[in-house]
Amino acid sequence: MSLLELKGVKKIYQQGKIEVPALRGVDLIVEQGEFSTIFGPSGSGETTLLNMIGCLDTPTEGEIRLNGNKVSDLSRKALAMTRRFNIGFVFQSYNLIPVLTAYENVEFAIRLIDHTSELKIKERVLQILEEVGLKGLENRRPNELSGGESQRVAIARALVKEPKLVLADEPTANLDSKNATDVVKIMVKMNKELGTTFIFSTHDPMVMEYAHRYINLKDGMISADERRG
Amino acid sequence: MFSFKLGLKNLTRQKRRNVITIMVIAFAFFGYLFMDSVMGGMEEMSFSNIKNYDTGNIQVAYPEYWEDREKLPLENLIYLNQDIVDSIKNMDGILGVSPELRFKANLNNGIDETVVLGLGISPEQYNEVFATQNYIIEGSMFSPGESKAVIGVKLAELMDLKINDYITLLVRTKEDTFNTIDVEITGLLNTPNPMINNGVVFVPLDIAQQALNVDNGFSLLALKTASGDEDKIGKVLMDSFKDKDLELQAYSWRESAESIIALSTAKKGGIGTILSVVLLIGMIGIINNVILSALERTGEIGMMKALGMREWEIVFVFMVEATGIGILGGLAGCLIGFAGVGLMAKYGFGFNVMGIDISEYGIPILDKIYGTWNYPAFSFLFILSVTVALLSSIVPAYWAAHKDPVKAIYHR
Ligand SMILES: Nc1ncnc2c1ncn2[C@@H]1O[C@H](COP(=O)(O)OP(=O)(O)OP(=O)(O)O)[C@@H](O)[C@H]1O
Ligand SMILES: [Mg+2]
Repeated sequence: MSLLELKGVKKIYQQGKIEVPALRGVDLIVEQGEFSTIFGPSGSGETTLLNMIGCLDTPTEGEIRLNGNKVSDLSRKALAMTRRFNIGFVFQSYNLIPVLTAYENVEFAIRLIDHTSELKIKERVLQILEEVGLKGLENRRPNELSGGESQRVAIARALVKEPKLVLADEPTANLDSKNATDVVKIMVKMNKELGTTFIFSTHDPMVMEYAHRYINLKDGMISADERRG
Repeated sequence: MFSFKLGLKNLTRQKRRNVITIMVIAFAFFGYLFMDSVMGGMEEMSFSNIKNYDTGNIQVAYPEYWEDREKLPLENLIYLNQDIVDSIKNMDGILGVSPELRFKANLNNGIDETVVLGLGISPEQYNEVFATQNYIIEGSMFSPGESKAVIGVKLAELMDLKINDYITLLVRTKEDTFNTIDVEITGLLNTPNPMINNGVVFVPLDIAQQALNVDNGFSLLALKTASGDEDKIGKVLMDSFKDKDLELQAYSWRESAESIIALSTAKKGGIGTILSVVLLIGMIGIINNVILSALERTGEIGMMKALGMREWEIVFVFMVEATGIGILGGLAGCLIGFAGVGLMAKYGFGFNVMGIDISEYGIPILDKIYGTWNYPAFSFLFILSVTVALLSSIVPAYWAAHKDPVKAIYHR
């Protein structure tokens, strides 16, 4: 059983009376542990596709299966629960909570699913922060962190609950090339160490380099899909 | 709980807006507590002015007299031997008993005439019930049997009278024939109750009884009790009257102070209106605060939804913050309310400073009134404000939490 299966996924946005087709029939299978990038010209539907996969939205047509379970017709509440336990997100804008420290921003995510001992939670949060290279910065607030550091906090937040799938929509778009490669390298490392499946979108060829699978999107359809490395 | 902590930490964001909301709530609070205190003070003072200078705590009279008492009739007077009066006086909880003969009179100073309320009293007993004699600012009280009178300063001013002047009280006897009481003014009164100062002439009870031809009859007995005991003692009195086959009735001062009670009811209505306004202000402040916060934190809310937070969990975060604002506003309001009421209670507030004579409105208070402490109002308001903050945050917070996650994340 594949981690993720999409069959004939279509998404049509209604803009007043006009129908905007963002996805026009996407078939895709992603296996556990893959490290894939979705790329394409702006407006070709990467974000929309990631949102469908991430259970943030449901397709107009077609079927999505996560771990073999059909998620494309779940209620909002059930979708929220699916996200909570199975999926980590990284966004272009880091969306950290400004009144919380780096540590607390990560702690926030694990508290939602884990009600074990304080000690375990603390250990886990410190460990993941160390793995993304933020040891020593745990008590900084977002406004005391660089963009790269902030995005690494966001990655730690996505990873702390050890989800099967992490989705990242242009995670490096706000970063300079040095920080961008750092962030991707951390994702690669996590993919290797934890076997977490990553799907990220990007427009940056340098960042794309690190992927093992390239999914090319054009006008809401997959135009090419190849594996490398 | 993490959401709780987050809610509290969110309080430190948008500090200026939160402080403004807190201040608005605090001032609304202050206004309420202050008004409540002033009105409470006004009420208390009116009541004590009535009790201490006009009615006593309990009045004993025949029901037929009581019904007509406004007309000051000489029918249905009380004729009791001294034993019974003494037995009332010896009852537990009764601190003083004073017979009173009330009559209508025309006061004549030789030139002008004005209608006054004549009060026949026996000074010693009167003194046990009323504080009036402490306010004789010139001259002294008369003794029984003397053809003397004590009047209020205002009345003296009006009629151009001084101590030792003679006045004539034109009265009608029980048989409806005219008679006069010629008396010398021996004292001038200035009590805190303006009604007494403006239109009452005190004369010795026996002089009045003679002139009105009512033997040893009197209109009513004014009794002094510890305040608050009126109802209890009233009941005991009624029982003892029944035992003695007397038709007498005991009336608490409340029954003779209907206009003041009406004022007190008006006070409750007024304070209720102020309270609704205060709560409305608090509600609008809180709702406004939650909506603005939610708008500013759209991306954050989107992230929370992406993390799989349930809607009520997000609502909870906002509610903690809103309730925090309610609590802080409430505390600040109580604090400045405490200061304001404290000042009012200590230094009082003079209506005459504002050029208002409230006695013209039937409120028996002269010049200053002092604020009262209404501690339950503080805790009541505080609890109410926290509840209102909590409740009024629910709808806007739900509105924020209900957003479509994609729209929230991408601010669409
Ligand atoms: N809520 C919406 N309502 C209407 N049209 C939308 C909506 N969201 C997306 N679209 C349209 O759907 C298409 C795909 O949008 P999407 O955001 O997925 O593009 P993208 O590939 O992520 O673009 P970019 O690379 O610039 O981020 C675009 O034409 C966009 O205008
Ligand atoms: Mg996009």
